Amino acid sequence: MKEDGWSQVIDSNHLFKGAMFMKQYSDLEFLRLSRWGKFSYRLNSFFCGIPQGIKNALFGAGRFFKKLGRGIGGEFGELFRTFREGDWKTRASYLVMGFGSMARGQIMRGLMFLLFEIVFIVYMALPTGGLFWLKKLCTLGDHGVTKVTEVVYGQTVEKVIPGDNSFRILLYGVLTIFFIVAFIYTWRLNVRQNRIAEGILKSGKKLKSGKDDLRSLVDEQFYKTLLALPLTGIVVFTVMPIVFMVLVAFTNYDGTHDGANNLFTWVGLDNFNTLLSWQGGNNVYSAAFGEILSWTLIWAFFATFTNYFLGMFVAMMINKKGIKLKKLWRTVLVLTIAIPQFISLLYVGKMFAKNGLVNLSLINLGWIRPGQELPFWEEPSWARITAIVVNIWIGIPYLMLVATGILMNIPQDLYESSRIDGANAWQQYTKITLPYMLFITGPYLLTSFTGNMNNFNVIYLLTGGAPTNARLSTAAGSVGHTDLLITWLFKITTGAESKYYMASVVGIMVFVVVAVISLVVYNLLPSIKNEEDFQ
Amino acid sequence: MASVKLTKVKKIYDNKVVAVHDFDLDIKDKEFVVFVGPSGCGKSTTLRMIAGLEEISEGTVEIDGEVVNDLQPKDRNIAMVFQNYALYPHMSVYDNIAFSLRLQKVPEDVIYDKVTKAAEILGITDYLLRKPRALSGGQRQRVAIGRAMVRDSKVFLMDEPLSNLDAKLRNQMRAEIILLRQKLDTTFIYVTHDQTEAMTLGDRIVIMKDGYIQQVGTPTEVFEMPKNLFVAEFIGAPKMNTFRTTLSKNGDEYSVTAFGVKLPVGGEKGAALARKNAAAGEVILGVRPEHIQLAKQGDPGAIPVALEVNEMMGSELHLHVYTEDGGRLIVRVPTIDLDAQTRENLVAGHRLYITAQAKVMHFFDVETEENLLND
Amino acid sequence: MKKENIVMEQGQPRLKRHMGQKAANTISNTIIYILLIAMSVIWLLPFIFIVLQSFRVELRGPVGYVVPQTWGLDNYRGLLTSDFKRWYLNTFIIALAVAVLQTVIVLCMSYTLSRFRFKMRDGLMRFMLVLGMFPGILGMIILYRVLKDLGLTQVNAVPGLILVYVASSGMGYYVSKGFFDTIPKSLDEAARVDGATRAQVLMKIILPLAKPIVIYTVLTAFMAPWGDFVFAKYISFGTSAGMNVAVGMYSWLNLDQISSRYTMFCAGGVVVAIPVTILFLCLQKYYVEGVTGGAVKG
Repeated sequence: MKEDGWSQVIDSNHLFKGAMFMKQYSDLEFLRLSRWGKFSYRLNSFFCGIPQGIKNALFGAGRFFKKLGRGIGGEFGELFRTFREGDWKTRASYLVMGFGSMARGQIMRGLMFLLFEIVFIVYMALPTGGLFWLKKLCTLGDHGVTKVTEVVYGQTVEKVIPGDNSFRILLYGVLTIFFIVAFIYTWRLNVRQNRIAEGILKSGKKLKSGKDDLRSLVDEQFYKTLLALPLTGIVVFTVMPIVFMVLVAFTNYDGTHDGANNLFTWVGLDNFNTLLSWQGGNNVYSAAFGEILSWTLIWAFFATFTNYFLGMFVAMMINKKGIKLKKLWRTVLVLTIAIPQFISLLYVGKMFAKNGLVNLSLINLGWIRPGQELPFWEEPSWARITAIVVNIWIGIPYLMLVATGILMNIPQDLYESSRIDGANAWQQYTKITLPYMLFITGPYLLTSFTGNMNNFNVIYLLTGGAPTNARLSTAAGSVGHTDLLITWLFKITTGAESKYYMASVVGIMVFVVVAVISLVVYNLLPSIKNEEDFQ
Repeated sequence: MASVKLTKVKKIYDNKVVAVHDFDLDIKDKEFVVFVGPSGCGKSTTLRMIAGLEEISEGTVEIDGEVVNDLQPKDRNIAMVFQNYALYPHMSVYDNIAFSLRLQKVPEDVIYDKVTKAAEILGITDYLLRKPRALSGGQRQRVAIGRAMVRDSKVFLMDEPLSNLDAKLRNQMRAEIILLRQKLDTTFIYVTHDQTEAMTLGDRIVIMKDGYIQQVGTPTEVFEMPKNLFVAEFIGAPKMNTFRTTLSKNGDEYSVTAFGVKLPVGGEKGAALARKNAAAGEVILGVRPEHIQLAKQGDPGAIPVALEVNEMMGSELHLHVYTEDGGRLIVRVPTIDLDAQTRENLVAGHRLYITAQAKVMHFFDVETEENLLND
Repeated sequence: MKKENIVMEQGQPRLKRHMGQKAANTISNTIIYILLIAMSVIWLLPFIFIVLQSFRVELRGPVGYVVPQTWGLDNYRGLLTSDFKRWYLNTFIIALAVAVLQTVIVLCMSYTLSRFRFKMRDGLMRFMLVLGMFPGILGMIILYRVLKDLGLTQVNAVPGLILVYVASSGMGYYVSKGFFDTIPKSLDEAARVDGATRAQVLMKIILPLAKPIVIYTVLTAFMAPWGDFVFAKYISFGTSAGMNVAVGMYSWLNLDQISSRYTMFCAGGVVVAIPVTILFLCLQKYYVEGVTGGAVKG
């Protein structure tokens, strides 16, 4: 295989090789190191492994593009060959899709191709069809709605002359691009069909009839049937909205510039500048982003690990030999999973409010005086801690279930042999239970961390982001001290100004953060690296 | 009942690993062919390509003269028994066996006749209404065979059907498969890693390694005339003793020097070597443990060895011995040939003498590991 | 441990060590029982409070005591005269529809990814992984406008919401794919050799064996709409007739309503929680299986 020039350069200069930074020990040498030596060696290898990881990622990307390039080259080559070597039926199919299939007797297949081509051409050529939207996509519209006052028979009438609609232009522009991609793919498929059909006929075999095609859709091609519906749903309701919203991040689409009454337009990277540039430290958006991001990460960390360890602890208590009524304890906790979260969250949220059950009871008991209510949701640090504590209350039952399932799967002979080796309960926990749990639940911990970063329900229903951060009051979405990026995003879109473009930028940042964390952790997880270790 | 023909069949996985290389084989109607080899040799892959469960990367598979490469498993008219039985857990034994017939829309009374007949042959009539999980391993195996039996299929494929059973049951089922084969009288292709199964069941054995066919032949052929060192060591248990020796030639007389002792190679083997005009020099000599004889001091060709381990197998002893220069051999001696006194003496460190006759020797090329007497 | 060793070394009878262990065990068990009881109280109290306060008649706002001074069903009667009926019906319809449709979609997706090896499979799975890293709320902005153009928002929010919930549910295939992966592939192969098409394999062999995961999927799909807040809020967009219980009852706790609707919120909470909880407890076994299986497989 021929290598690209640039990847060879990277490979040959050894810049990224871990060996440059540290001495490598053999296994036997490693065993002779002291405990501290082993630890520092491991730590060292980890950090020296990072450049290697980056290198691998770069290479992965390089390989991907190389493959892509080669793939595209191969496609054109095959297109050319098919045309040169094909008969007239094949060549005609380059213009009239499905012609070859029909001419060779595969009527149904051919008709489908042809129908798709006709629909595509008609859609593109319509006065308000694909070409129309594509042309406008560059500017997102040049004339908005105008109102003209005319005097008709002595009466002044306000006449509305419809103009462009940026929202529609962007939406249909995106749709058209999707459609064009689909068309190119189908066209390519149509050409390849001809080549395959020619080959089959040449070898003296018979082509599949329309009936065979239909039959194969419940047999060897059954996966196409099964995937059709789910994938359509995902493309229409997830992929396209995401593409659209990513594009919105580069416009000034908001409540005022809604596209219909006021055009919006491309603004380049301005919105990213607003969110990320410090400009002498007085940019309220970048300050808000920094504060919310750090709280989001702190929250995700505590929400994940407090639940994880306490849940495991509870599971181990219930699982302990000799504890009776195991089923009852479990059911009590599981019961709380069943009750819709919005009820428990809203209720508990109000319980801790200034005039909520807790404070009022304390006053009734005479422990505090009116006016001295505990500021559960009013003080930033109180609010944050209360949120984490309530989240523990919400999360433990679930984690208890997860942990119970895994704990029961730990082979009992591991414990028996460790007891013979002389381990006590704590050693058993740290040497057997915990490593096993961490290994098995590594991927789960990762998804749970990113899930907590986006834990809209708990924060929004509990605090609504309160208490408000006065310093950041000029940023959209009335930023609060307990706001996560995701609740901030929501508040921006529903706020008075509805700065959709800012919401979109925040959304993209959430994606970037989640993707980076996932990528890094995923590459460090032992369960991915040594899949066989615990089998 | 059908012939199966594989022509240049090749399997390349997505990761470019080639599992089977240019597999050529002609299986006659009603023949019992066994694919045998160590795990990962491509034997199961080949079977699954015949079944249609794996795509054929190159080459053709024909059943009864028809190329079936593009046919789905269900359209190939084959029956298959899987290693882990693959019984449908939610169906009773009766429904399991009837499943394929129901898919063919066979009338229920015909199904009833066929299933009960098969159950009778296999001795599982009492379990027809049980679910598979209520059956023992051997019973499950019978159900799996029953499921394949009722199909009246052209080819009967079996993928390591006995390897999940314990040793005793395996021997019993092996005998039953031989009986079954006589009753069904159809083409069998059987995959196993166990050379005993291969030797006892097969009309012909296909020995595979790393995706290549090593040898195709009857059990006698592969045992007596192994094509190469691999086949020689794979067939027979305990495995053949092999070691480097020097082949010397004096006119038309051949001899080998093993552990410093010169053994003449006369008779048929010597004649065959002469016919091949085998050159003198280093060769690999192979002798099966059961073909080594105990000798007395001073006998011509007696090699002095010392005993390391004595395994008492009941009807025979497996003597693990080592020579002066560190060579290790296994000698298989029928217990009945030894008197009590000799047997008592056979403890670790005991010195004894062994020898072997020319007719049981196999010679392999040092480089290619091919049998020197190959055609 | 160390102490016990000393006891042994001094040649004391074994019995003593045994007794020590037993005593330690009793102490630790007692502590665990105390902890478990305390936990049960903490976890159940808020729900007991909700039930008690739903029967309070004398004051309708938050108060500093739990047991009502006057008991009555006024709050439940109040639910019947409010929009709650509509919200409840909306949520119920959504939950039923989502339970059916989402299960079908998830099963299609996960079975395919577990059993078929087609060219785009790995790419598809990676693509969906990346797609899942975008916050779902982001797409709502445009979905809302599109659905509005189609007339599926506000008063007609129910079909709109069903569409939104169901359409993307194919991405949540992980748990059930993990389950399908545990069904031996040789069952599929045996059935195919026996003459079944792929579709017949799914219908006759796999689905009967997949009962636990089907129930798990139905259960979680049915429960999710009761708790969803953000999508429902977007799509109903302030129109009471299109709200689900979460959005509707959320408005009762706003500053301007809380003093008059707090106890009604409690009553509503009880009415919402009872059927879901009963269903959940009946099918608890399957839920636990799904949850633990899902976590193990990531």
